[in-house]
Amino acid sequence: MASFLRSKTNILGLILSLVILSLLVVGCSGPTFQGWSGFAEQEGVLYFGGIDGRVFAISLEARSQNLTFPSQGEWVFNIPSVGTPGTICGPACAPATPRASVYATPAVLGDLLCVGIYGGDTGRVVAINRLAPGYNEGVPQRSKGEWTYPTGVNSIGAIVGTPVNVNETLYVGTSDGNLYAIDAVYGEKKWAFDTGGKIWTSPVIDGGVIYISNYQKKLFAVSSVDGSQIWNIELPASIASSPAVSADTIFVGTFDNNLYAIDRATGKERWNFKGGNWFWSTPVVKGDTVYAGCLDNRVYAISASSGQEEWQFVADGPIASTLVTTDSLVLVASEAGNIYMLESGTGNMVRSVDLGSPIMAPLLADNNIVYVHAGNLCVYAVDVQSGQTVWEFCYSNNN
Amino acid sequence: MVDIWNTIILEPVLNSLIALTNVLGGSFGLAIIILTVVVRLALFPLTVRQTQSTKAMQTLQPKIQEIQKKYAKNQQKLQQEMMKLYKEAGINPLGCLWPMLIQLPIWIALYQSIMQALGATPESLLSLSQHLYSWAAIGHAIPLNEQFLWLHLSRPDPNLILAILVGGTMWVQQKMVTPPATDPRQRSMTNLTTTMMPLMFGLFTLSFPSGLALYWVVSNIIGIVIQYFVSGGWGYLRAPSVPKPATAPAPAPTQKVILPQKAPTVQPSKMLQQASEESKTIKKASEEKKKGLFGR
Repeated sequence: MASFLRSKTNILGLILSLVILSLLVVGCSGPTFQGWSGFAEQEGVLYFGGIDGRVFAISLEARSQNLTFPSQGEWVFNIPSVGTPGTICGPACAPATPRASVYATPAVLGDLLCVGIYGGDTGRVVAINRLAPGYNEGVPQRSKGEWTYPTGVNSIGAIVGTPVNVNETLYVGTSDGNLYAIDAVYGEKKWAFDTGGKIWTSPVIDGGVIYISNYQKKLFAVSSVDGSQIWNIELPASIASSPAVSADTIFVGTFDNNLYAIDRATGKERWNFKGGNWFWSTPVVKGDTVYAGCLDNRVYAISASSGQEEWQFVADGPIASTLVTTDSLVLVASEAGNIYMLESGTGNMVRSVDLGSPIMAPLLADNNIVYVHAGNLCVYAVDVQSGQTVWEFCYSNNN
Repeated sequence: MVDIWNTIILEPVLNSLIALTNVLGGSFGLAIIILTVVVRLALFPLTVRQTQSTKAMQTLQPKIQEIQKKYAKNQQKLQQEMMKLYKEAGINPLGCLWPMLIQLPIWIALYQSIMQALGATPESLLSLSQHLYSWAAIGHAIPLNEQFLWLHLSRPDPNLILAILVGGTMWVQQKMVTPPATDPRQRSMTNLTTTMMPLMFGLFTLSFPSGLALYWVVSNIIGIVIQYFVSGGWGYLRAPSVPKPATAPAPAPTQKVILPQKAPTVQPSKMLQQASEESKTIKKASEEKKKGLFGR
């Protein structure tokens, strides 16, 4: 009996240990975050946060000539770490160094590049001299105008939504529920507005009013001057997408699979459109049409005034990346790695390009080239007219 | 394979948890506790069978020792005789593993569900969208509130409270079912197992999301309660760690079916009969339960 029980316990122990160890491997890696930063383009240079936790400046000219990186005007910057070891993984398997990542598209302000950092529980805004980064071991070089908010070892909530720069003030929403207005020149807080819920979306600013949503189902209109609330509304479900603003309407996607049109002045609902999954990416408004990518693998073109569907296009994967429009095309990327070029009036596909890697980052279109930041740590420049990849830049730890 | 796992295991657990959270006023911690109770209730027949099977095997102890002594030098024959003995007594020696084995996929699914449902990172929230049923209650509940008591359910408990609870309840549960060994070598092995497993799980608790550790604690407590009522007491928990007579089977103070000190003098056939009777009782109870469930 004893030996039987012992052998049985041993078998059980072995099985349990194997399962627990495999779980531990997953558990010890903690919740994985990589980031999916889009691009800020200024004077022929693309700025973006890499999936490996670095910020890059790549010259369009140097990349088109396939010069060795970094070439003239190019650089790579290691993000200063935020948070403390063990906060993600737990005390039993604390990572050696805390990781940081970039989801937010960087914002350019004069010679500064403002980057929102995601560090799991914590975050920070860093302003880098975009002509020649002067940071030294994570400390900004004030003589170059660089700053970090907050300063020292302090941190704010993790940043996912893209910071917006208006009149030398940077507006950024964070996971701690605050919308911060930061002086973009000196890196000092002007004011903070507490929304009471995690913010993973970007603010939109128009006519002195900031529109920002949080995960407590609320959409706020806030004065950009002093952060005072103008109105707020509560939607039936949490808000998944960043708001898009047209003349008099705000469009947001929610976790109950709806795209809502909200009156800008009053905050009243005008219409809602039901999709097959979440409208995660930011809708794009052009004329009287709202183009919205959905995680049900579809792109919808919806009348902005009536909420009626104009057309839909079925992609080969969920659409998490914010689409872009050109004169006559809608450019959409799927998580499956395809770029679709659709006629904006009909939704008919003109051509598609398979990049073979998941795309979550927002697209950028400029001069008939669409720039794509893919999950395989590569940036692609694709000619919209021909569908040809003009150049690609793959970064790794070696670069 | 991944799709099958997601469809059959992950998505039902994930969506049940989210729907439960919505029903329970947004408390994800309560949803985990309710799910644990449901899982343990579903496994209740197996757990009872395991407990009773263990009890039945305890009655075979003297006979097993006799066989071990007799065929000490012939391992093959020893195994044959042991299997023969179990067969005659109507006991499946691996039957005790099933409740634990069945729970393993649920652990893994629960771990994945907690990480996804709480959307700890943008990636996990995005991934969650692909595993949700199109129920209105689900969409309105996302994203979930990860706060429960002092815990952030997607993160390990920074205090030692949950680790102690996991380790402690597991130790109690193991102690209740593990008889003290007579052989010093076996005793040290048994002690190692009963101490190491709770210790290991206690350490794991420091690394895993506290939501999963909450499942372990509740599951262990339910296990202890079942063990208490089915076995009729605290089992070997209150027994001395080393039985006084080296050859006698371990006494279990509250387990009346175990034959104490005089066990070696009982006729083997009588013991087999007793074990068989216990096994028959289990089968009978199981059949009656089946009739109750399906016989209408």
